[in-house]
Amino acid sequence: MSATIDFDAEELSLLRQLFSGEANDALDTVTRLCLDGGANRPSHEAFGEMLRVTHAIKGAGGTVGLLAVVDAVHQLESNLLQLRDGRPAWNSGIRDAIVDICDGIRELVERGANAVELPVGLATMLRTLTTEQPAPVAPLETDPASAPILPLDAPRSHLRVAPERIDTVMSNAAELLFDRTRIERRTQLLRTVARDIARIRQQLRSALDDAAPHGGPAAYSPLAALEAELAGQATLLSQTSAALIDETEALRRTIGELQKSLTAMRMDTAQSLFSYSARALRALRRATGAAVELVTRGETTEFDKTVAEALHDPIVQLLRNVVSHGVDTAAARVALGKPAHVTITMTARQDAGFLVLSISDDGAGVDTKTLRERLVQTDRWTASRAAVASEDEVLRSLFVTPVSVKDDATAFAGHGIGLDSVRQSIARLGGEVSIASSVGRGTTFTLRLPLSTAVGTAMLFKVAGQVYAIPSVFVGQSLTANPADDMIAVRHEQLPVLSLEQLLGSTKPTGMRPAMEVTYAGRSVVCTVDKIVGLREIVIKQLDPLLAPLTLYAGATISGSGKVQLILDPAQLVRRGHARSATPHPVHDSQSAPMLAAGRALVVDDSRAIREAMTSMLSREGWIVDVAEDGARALQNTAQHRYDLLVTDLEMPNLDGWGLIGALRADPKRAGIAVIIITSRAHAENRRRARDLQVRALVPKPITRRKLLEALASPNLHGNER
Amino acid sequence: MSDPRNVIVFAVGDARYAFEIRWIREVVTLGFVTTVPSAPPALCGVCNLHGHIVPVIDVTAIVPGAEPASGTARQGDGALLIDVSGSTLAIRLEKIDRVASYEYDSGYLLDGASRILLLEPTTVYRVAAEQIALVGNSEELASGPRAESL
Repeated sequence: MSATIDFDAEELSLLRQLFSGEANDALDTVTRLCLDGGANRPSHEAFGEMLRVTHAIKGAGGTVGLLAVVDAVHQLESNLLQLRDGRPAWNSGIRDAIVDICDGIRELVERGANAVELPVGLATMLRTLTTEQPAPVAPLETDPASAPILPLDAPRSHLRVAPERIDTVMSNAAELLFDRTRIERRTQLLRTVARDIARIRQQLRSALDDAAPHGGPAAYSPLAALEAELAGQATLLSQTSAALIDETEALRRTIGELQKSLTAMRMDTAQSLFSYSARALRALRRATGAAVELVTRGETTEFDKTVAEALHDPIVQLLRNVVSHGVDTAAARVALGKPAHVTITMTARQDAGFLVLSISDDGAGVDTKTLRERLVQTDRWTASRAAVASEDEVLRSLFVTPVSVKDDATAFAGHGIGLDSVRQSIARLGGEVSIASSVGRGTTFTLRLPLSTAVGTAMLFKVAGQVYAIPSVFVGQSLTANPADDMIAVRHEQLPVLSLEQLLGSTKPTGMRPAMEVTYAGRSVVCTVDKIVGLREIVIKQLDPLLAPLTLYAGATISGSGKVQLILDPAQLVRRGHARSATPHPVHDSQSAPMLAAGRALVVDDSRAIREAMTSMLSREGWIVDVAEDGARALQNTAQHRYDLLVTDLEMPNLDGWGLIGALRADPKRAGIAVIIITSRAHAENRRRARDLQVRALVPKPITRRKLLEALASPNLHGNER
Repeated sequence: MSDPRNVIVFAVGDARYAFEIRWIREVVTLGFVTTVPSAPPALCGVCNLHGHIVPVIDVTAIVPGAEPASGTARQGDGALLIDVSGSTLAIRLEKIDRVASYEYDSGYLLDGASRILLLEPTTVYRVAAEQIALVGNSEELASGPRAESL
């Protein structure tokens, strides 16, 4: 085991940092595989995996000169090899010893170059693991989590959390953003309603004043008393809605703070991006033999890990571009008085909430004169365009399409290949890339990106030529459906079909179309579209508050080509799908809809509040209302009176809603009664059962006057009355 | 009596409008303008400007009695960026007419015999917000939770 160190101090420190990440991952893998099976011996495959990762870090540790780590990992590897072959047999003591050893090696990795020899404790554990059997931690198997893995007197200064966990919390926070937007919209609506009521109250006041002879007696009339009461309630309503707005503002601040601290948790410094770039450049240097050095500035600049990871590929592309095209010959360089090797300078800095990353070289630069000619020769530009285009425009053309292809035997061979994908990746992150160049002095690429991003997975689809997104957690299976149908059977359930072609594009095609199931809060719709694009990682952006009343949109994202794509709110799609299937007209005016003629109604619910509410609502529509608190009492009522309508809950003591309806339907004298069910369980099974019992409408709780009116006006119910 | 204003005069369709220069953050070229289905005429769409998603506003749908703009918003159209009421709006234009100083008189700029309407950012914002709220609220009411008929 020998280590040849062929890095300068800076590069070595970057590489060690990188190695420490890899080593920790490998040790995590070993720990996990040991603990996964509880007391059971890891499988043969698990041993293979453990050996693979330990071997890999042994090699890497040698490269970066961490000999103590290599020594420890080597011994761990030999031990694992023996254990795989059953010498000695696996037990919980060995398992826990391996976990301790992994922790020991982690500390060694953290100490880096300062660790020259193995600590005595770790050395002993490694030596005795397979020769002397350590005492099992407990006579019988216990929960591995309860066994202390770390000695209590060695507290750690950092809590290591798997990045995926933070990602989960981040995406929950993103959900919270959607929720907040929804609440804000409702609050705004409430405020509008409060204003309207205040205005109507004002009009009522003036009408009363006008009607009063000389302003005297009207002040004491019952109408005026009601007006005064309305005034009080209207004030209360506007105060409440104002308070609600303040509270949502507080919520907005809290979510903002939450996001900020989560983002801080995910913050990475430019250093790790630079070390990645150093490795990439090193590989390129080896492959091409180009004399290129990297200089970095702004290592402490902080930005989101997600952004850093998303920058890996673009940076490799840019470096490749420099190495392939930016490097001038040593002779040419010396003639210009430049050092023989090309220096690439990477600079990271923050600027007004953005990360600005520049990659400049002191190489040949782009010869825009030749580039103009090439653009014309290859028919990309017309001669007149090339003649008038600014230097900037000519340089920017490199990002659009490769100016030449590989086999093009000119100085521009391949120039620009990959730059198009760089532009797209940066655009997807909500950033921009620009280029500046001067012949003989070099080229600078400048990337400007947000410091952090809210990322999520979304289903993308196309309607009327535009691409839209729905967060993937709300999207179920893809299928085909006919937008002309009202309902479609999916897994034995009838789901409403919502034509997004109509909603977003105002045409409603017929025939089978691509579709997807969208589920929100337990309810689903099937949405038909022009084309399903597929699942993509997207960066979630807020829409301007000006657009908040447009409830259909929950946000937006930016495509690779820089286009804005709207994110649809799944809650709205589900609601609209169900609304459309309930009423044939998209805008339904309940006030003018034909209504079931008022008669005598029986309200059955074990909640007094609901009985009172229903009585009040139905009375206002002209019904004579009786109430009963369960099915059994309701049956007694129906024996005494003839009822036109039964409004019943399902879950009640003594006799439940199903029993009640069943009994009524079984009695020829009472079977004709119209039935509306109000329930908090409006799921498919109940709907099917209700249909079998010729129930006219099933209204999900909480009940509102509007829902009740719609149930009364439901065409089905009305049709039956004729 | 003299009340000169420094303005940018721009054209949409045949009509000319103006904003005071002090309100203009930037004159930009629009990228692809994404149409927002169900949006009122004042909102041409949304556009990505330096990673921010900016509403694109059509003033001809805001000024009462204005000739509606002939074409729809397109990539490459010019726009004035204005910060107003916490939002950044892109005011779509077809042509920048001139940057000049004119006498102001009750809402208009006097350009020889003709008059140019001087737009106020807050008014533009308010009218756009009202149009959008109107669409939003009617949608909201039309699609509230409903009874599920069987």
